[in-house]
Amino acid sequence: MSAPQILMEPATDTSGPRTVAGSGFISVVVPVVERADDLLAVYRAFGRELDALPQEHEFLFVFDGSITPAPELVTLARQKEGVRILRFAREFGETAALQLGIEKSRGDLIITLPAYFQVQPEGIHRLLDGVSAGADMVVANRSPRLDGWLNRIQSRAFQSIIGGASEQRFHDMACGVRVMRRPVAQALPLYGDLHRFIPALALREGFRVDEVAVPQHPGDARMRVYGPGVYVRRLLDIAAFFFLAKFTEKPLRFFGLVGSLFIAAGTVLSLVLFIQRVDGQGIANRPALLLAVLFLALGVQLMGLGLVGEIIVHLRAPHRRAYRVRERA
Amino acid sequence: MSPAFATAQESVPTLTVVAPLFNESQNVRPLVEWILQALETYPKTFEIILVDDGSRDGTWNEVRSAAADPRVRGLRLGSNVGQTAAMMAGFDNALGQVIVSLDGDLQNDPRDIPALVAKLDEGYDLVCGWRHQRQDKLILRKIPSWLANRLIRRLTGVPIRDNGCSLKAYRRELLQRIPLYAEQHRFIPALSASVGARITEMPVRHHARRFGESKYGISRTVKVLSDLITLKMITTFRSRPLLGFGLATLPALGVALVFGGLWVFSLTHFGPEKADALVFPGAGLLVLGVAFYLFMLGLVAEVALSSERGDASDIPNAWEVR
Repeated sequence: MSAPQILMEPATDTSGPRTVAGSGFISVVVPVVERADDLLAVYRAFGRELDALPQEHEFLFVFDGSITPAPELVTLARQKEGVRILRFAREFGETAALQLGIEKSRGDLIITLPAYFQVQPEGIHRLLDGVSAGADMVVANRSPRLDGWLNRIQSRAFQSIIGGASEQRFHDMACGVRVMRRPVAQALPLYGDLHRFIPALALREGFRVDEVAVPQHPGDARMRVYGPGVYVRRLLDIAAFFFLAKFTEKPLRFFGLVGSLFIAAGTVLSLVLFIQRVDGQGIANRPALLLAVLFLALGVQLMGLGLVGEIIVHLRAPHRRAYRVRERA
Repeated sequence: MSPAFATAQESVPTLTVVAPLFNESQNVRPLVEWILQALETYPKTFEIILVDDGSRDGTWNEVRSAAADPRVRGLRLGSNVGQTAAMMAGFDNALGQVIVSLDGDLQNDPRDIPALVAKLDEGYDLVCGWRHQRQDKLILRKIPSWLANRLIRRLTGVPIRDNGCSLKAYRRELLQRIPLYAEQHRFIPALSASVGARITEMPVRHHARRFGESKYGISRTVKVLSDLITLKMITTFRSRPLLGFGLATLPALGVALVFGGLWVFSLTHFGPEKADALVFPGAGLLVLGVAFYLFMLGLVAEVALSSERGDASDIPNAWEVR
């Protein structure tokens, strides 16, 4: 995949980071990917809340290739230094948009916001308070929730499936409102569609992640029903996340388990056939023998794949550490 | 020698004791006192590194107060990453040329440390503690451990009786050669042997647990078995995976030949009515496919290897013969 290309950067963009050491400069990253409300309204509502803080802030709107920024927003970005617009040349998705936003942001704190009202803007203070209290990342849990029952069931199902792969239970991993310290944002192993698992990823990287309840915005509570393709993609995302969470360091534990199940099935079937043959029944013209051999073959292939995975993990070991030192004494 | 150089040398400890801790708040203080006491007469400088592996019971507060002593350092990990990674955190931060690891649960006896280090100085890279009078539950801990140790010994050929004992002394260069990950702390002797280390073991004391709970149970058996296959593969074929996969194709080729033979046999002996049966040739072709596939996997492994290798740590360890 080619590197995301930036088409548009406002002329007012001052090159190079400004000196914000220690002052807690805040960057708000807004990926504009599928659903987008009036971005000016989002900017004004959250900007008003952030204006009340002593820290300075900037807004970065990252547009996916399929969406054109409204002329009013472009005008605003030309006028105000604290508003920047980036745009991909084609569609790269939300994860890439977040990555680019984080990469181009200058803040010590990074806030991610969806391009529409997911939570009440006042709620952002609760998240910032959580970071002040020592968390590395604070995520919003939309509560009380105004969604209809269908959406609630959907999101409940999603959360409970992922719950098993994460050490800490998150109630609303899909919520796009998060506050994180810069080192967390930069350490997130983001690619593909992993943005849905950001809290769990940060946790696995060894950071402290808290969750705070923030009232859901009424505008967010509309009916969301997707095409079957979307659900299939989500399930594949979850499968990828599960696998990464459990077996990145030990691929053979997964492939070996599945492979040995196949080998066991193949062996049992072969034994049955062998006994039948000894018993005098012919096996040469029965497909059962093919099935037994197929099982054995699949099992061996899976084990082989697992071993190649292990070799790759082993080779990378000198450059990788599973721990992160949080504090020294 | 200038005085500045002398003090600089003095400040760098020659021995580092690493103890990983997970929810051991009650054990921290006695452990540190015990180690300090055991090393009171140790002639050279030393340091203790306590690694808090994401504990949730106030272990870190205990570590912090223990670190008031200049010889004690504490590392707090962001989350619970397990014993191997926690030990690795200690090793990576160790300053000593000799490093000793031990459990944070007071079951190892720090009074054995000087003897282990002395043994290391006899010309070894790794000295393993051997809990010859182990104080643990028989059925849940000792018997599985005995079986596992026998299996590891048979499979790797490294004659160490107690792979699971955390009390070990290492030379710094050895640890730089075997980057541990996942749950490899059980296989340190075998991994060390595979890079050419000189290894020995010596009996150490072992005590029953005083505070807290054991973090291991019998559930790890399957994991250990899978890890053992990996270990065998990696230590044997680390630098030539194609050979490993190539050897694995031989039985597959053999089975394919048998099926082929059966086909020819049934053709020639039972006449053409049996020749319609495609089961034997089908099975033979499947197995032939597996052999082909394994060979290709070996090539993939070679590609991975060629893109990652090339630094000095690939060269096996050796020592001068005098």
